[in-house]
Amino acid sequence: MTEHSGIKKGFIALTLLLYILAGILPSQTQEKKEPPFPFSEYQLSNGLKVIISEDNSLPLVSVVVAYNVGSIYEQAGKFGLAHLLERLMFQGSENVRPMQHISLIDKVGGILNATTTEDKTIFQQTVSSNQLARILWLESDRMRSLQITQSNVEQAKGTILEEIRHRKATEPYRESYLIFDQLLYPDTPPYIHPVIGEEADMRNITADDVKKFYSDFYIPNNAVLSIAGNIDKKKAISEVRKYFETIPKGKEPHPIPLPEDSKKTPIVVPITDSLAPSPGFHLGYEIAHPSSNDFYAMKIIEYILLRGKTSRLYNRLIKKDGTALYISGGIEKKKNLARLKIFVINNNEIMAGRSKRAIFSEINKLRSRQISTEELIKVKNMFKMDYINQYTTSLGKALLLAETFLSKKSLDALSTELDKYLAVTSYNIIRATNKYLIKGRIILDIKIR
Amino acid sequence: MKRGKHLKAALFFLLMILFVWESPLFPQERFRKSPPNPEPLSALKLPAIDSYTLTNGLALSVIQQDNLPVISLKMIIFAGESHSPENLPGLAKLTAKMLSRGVSYLSFSKIEERIESFGGNFSVTIYPDYTLLSFTFLEDYLEKGIELLSRMLLQPTFFRREIVNVKRSMYYDLIREYEDPEFIAKRQLHRLLFSGHNYIKSTYNEDVIKNLSQKDIVSFFQKYYRPNNAHLVLTGNLNLPTASRKVSRYFRNWRRRELKHAFVPPPNPNTKLRICLVDIRGINDAWIYMGNVISTLDRQEIFPLLVLNQVLGGTRISRLFMNLRESKEYAYWAFSEVEFFKNFNVFFVKAKVRPEVTYSSVMEILAETKKITEKKIPSFEIEQAKSFLIGNFPLDIQTFDNLSAAVSEIKALNLGKEHWEKYYDNIMLINSEKAFKMARTYPPLSPVVVIVGDSHKIIDHIQEFTEIEIYNRKGILRQTIKKGEIK
Repeated sequence: MTEHSGIKKGFIALTLLLYILAGILPSQTQEKKEPPFPFSEYQLSNGLKVIISEDNSLPLVSVVVAYNVGSIYEQAGKFGLAHLLERLMFQGSENVRPMQHISLIDKVGGILNATTTEDKTIFQQTVSSNQLARILWLESDRMRSLQITQSNVEQAKGTILEEIRHRKATEPYRESYLIFDQLLYPDTPPYIHPVIGEEADMRNITADDVKKFYSDFYIPNNAVLSIAGNIDKKKAISEVRKYFETIPKGKEPHPIPLPEDSKKTPIVVPITDSLAPSPGFHLGYEIAHPSSNDFYAMKIIEYILLRGKTSRLYNRLIKKDGTALYISGGIEKKKNLARLKIFVINNNEIMAGRSKRAIFSEINKLRSRQISTEELIKVKNMFKMDYINQYTTSLGKALLLAETFLSKKSLDALSTELDKYLAVTSYNIIRATNKYLIKGRIILDIKIR
Repeated sequence: MKRGKHLKAALFFLLMILFVWESPLFPQERFRKSPPNPEPLSALKLPAIDSYTLTNGLALSVIQQDNLPVISLKMIIFAGESHSPENLPGLAKLTAKMLSRGVSYLSFSKIEERIESFGGNFSVTIYPDYTLLSFTFLEDYLEKGIELLSRMLLQPTFFRREIVNVKRSMYYDLIREYEDPEFIAKRQLHRLLFSGHNYIKSTYNEDVIKNLSQKDIVSFFQKYYRPNNAHLVLTGNLNLPTASRKVSRYFRNWRRRELKHAFVPPPNPNTKLRICLVDIRGINDAWIYMGNVISTLDRQEIFPLLVLNQVLGGTRISRLFMNLRESKEYAYWAFSEVEFFKNFNVFFVKAKVRPEVTYSSVMEILAETKKITEKKIPSFEIEQAKSFLIGNFPLDIQTFDNLSAAVSEIKALNLGKEHWEKYYDNIMLINSEKAFKMARTYPPLSPVVVIVGDSHKIIDHIQEFTEIEIYNRKGILRQTIKKGEIK
């Protein structure tokens, strides 16, 4: 070994060390980004996840209980169970009379709601912050001891059947939305039936089915409780423990098999919608999974094409060409899958054809031409405002925390989530358009009688 | 042997404990039996409203909030639809809608682009007493947002082509609104309550929109869109000195012009029960809107009125809902409301019922309304109503936009501090006696009753009424039928 080679090796080692340090040091000095609002996480011994966010600006508190269950967890022949159970959650439990949950909140000027989607069921309420214990009492009672009887199941089924019939008879384009989902999502049954359920299935559901579904999924270890508002964190978690910790843990629910994208071939399907006053069409694409990096670019593409009065498709179809009467759409997420959906209503079928060509032409532009800096700033600002609007209220915060948890993202991701959307570049947009908005295009043409 | 016996007994005992513990026989904790009592109500600390008036008379209210990077602007113009000329109803709305349709050197589409590039949203709402321009955007665009709003108010172009577009959209919007039975019912109720009064102008039909011209817009704009007839409410992360400096920079050239608002006396309350059917063929249910004018000028009287309203029909646990829906099963829903105007209020009940029980529903509503004028409301109901109003108040001021809107309403309708700083106290002061006094002073009896439905399905079920006026969708009287004339 010569001295020269020794110096050279030393130099290389030093350079390497500097590189390594350069890579490490900045990240060490970078401050950890704060989430948009503070929160703390807890886990009870029965598996219930608890997230608490203090905000003392107004004497309000929002409580959200979200269960990791929705219509995709239903077995074939029992479609509508999740939604039925959501209804029954207001029909009383061991210590709460039917509808008492609603009346107790009404009495104190609060608001409440419940929602069932394909992959989650959410119960939410906002009341004066001095009522927190009462809400925990209500929510814990129905988590531990919901009253499921033949009579209340039959009553709830009756109401839902009436609702299904009413929607079928009165909602224009409803049928087309259902058929379009069947075309756009994998053929696996849970993905292609409406959350509200099917008439035939609803009739067959028994009280035993409901009890089993309840004991399988409405358990602390399959739920998240988030609380946001004017509360004392320590006191709140102590109340939560009091009401929830003795609820027995359930058997871990079996993970449902999640179908992968089927890479569908482009198809055009015509249907006749007897209630539709005008013709139109649905157009959809399989896009990046919600947890993938490409999803951020797809969200910005959604804004470029469809959000606001100056979006490209609104500008083109409504303002410039005048070929469409109405356009709506956006990205829809169902568990591990995401779709970009566009719905257009036209005066006649010729205009529908022109609208389709205009949409393809706008997508083609997005594939090949860089978006201008001004437009990119505009859509990112619109997105930023919508993102901020999610957590302007205590309920918004509680919902954002619960939904982030259920989406299997780490809550720490909230610190950088907005930045990831704002970091999308025009190159990312071209790439994502070329990757997702070509193949798997599904069109459903709606004709009128 | 003995030891083994003991072991078996211990094991049996342990198993029994486990069995009982896991089984429903195991008694629940005592605290689960009944709802816990609420803790004392937390104090409501409302944000301060700081005020300043520019030399040209433009009043500014600033609500400093630092928790979100958002700005909410609300410009109140103290001229609403009741200020439109007699023969030109709809002019106030058209004028307001034209403001974002083009300013000097900036076309409508450029304005839209600009608003969205600020992450913003701009809208106008026209009330009978005032007009509200609402503009929310990201705080990074504070300077640009104020500048854009100032250009809409100082340099609108009112181009003819845009006027045609706005008139067309107003026309079709109104036609769409007339598809909604609730809209028709409320419009007709206002039409009948405000007959012969200035406020009738806010109940116009789509036919009158064609009468409005560029000249009318300019004249209305020049008369009412003046800094001394306006008030800007700003919510966001900035203090009064900064806000007034920025607002002054862009609005100081807005020229004042003396303007006297004559006092408009309230409409006369209806004195005799009046039944009006708006005939809409093909609809299956009946919508009832019945109400009357309450010509109170003392703003303190609003608080007992709010409590009364709450008891009668404010929520799903109020008397009307419990009676008409839960007990009699006549209605899908039944509520009551108080509507604020500058110099008076309107108290009304609304319900959606099955056509065959329309008469019975109206009679039940009248009976419930009469009951509160004859018998004191028990204390527990009063306390429950107060609890609702107090608990619900902060829900309406959670976002910057809602906060600005609440302050704007107080400023526009002259509701004063009583409705902001002292809202809780004023509600807390109401007791059974005060509510009863209010009910007896302004009994909302003898209301105008508007029923919207298909006359073929309803008429047989309302023939008990002495007289029924039948109107078309646009509020034109078609026929008056007396009792016994219905075949």
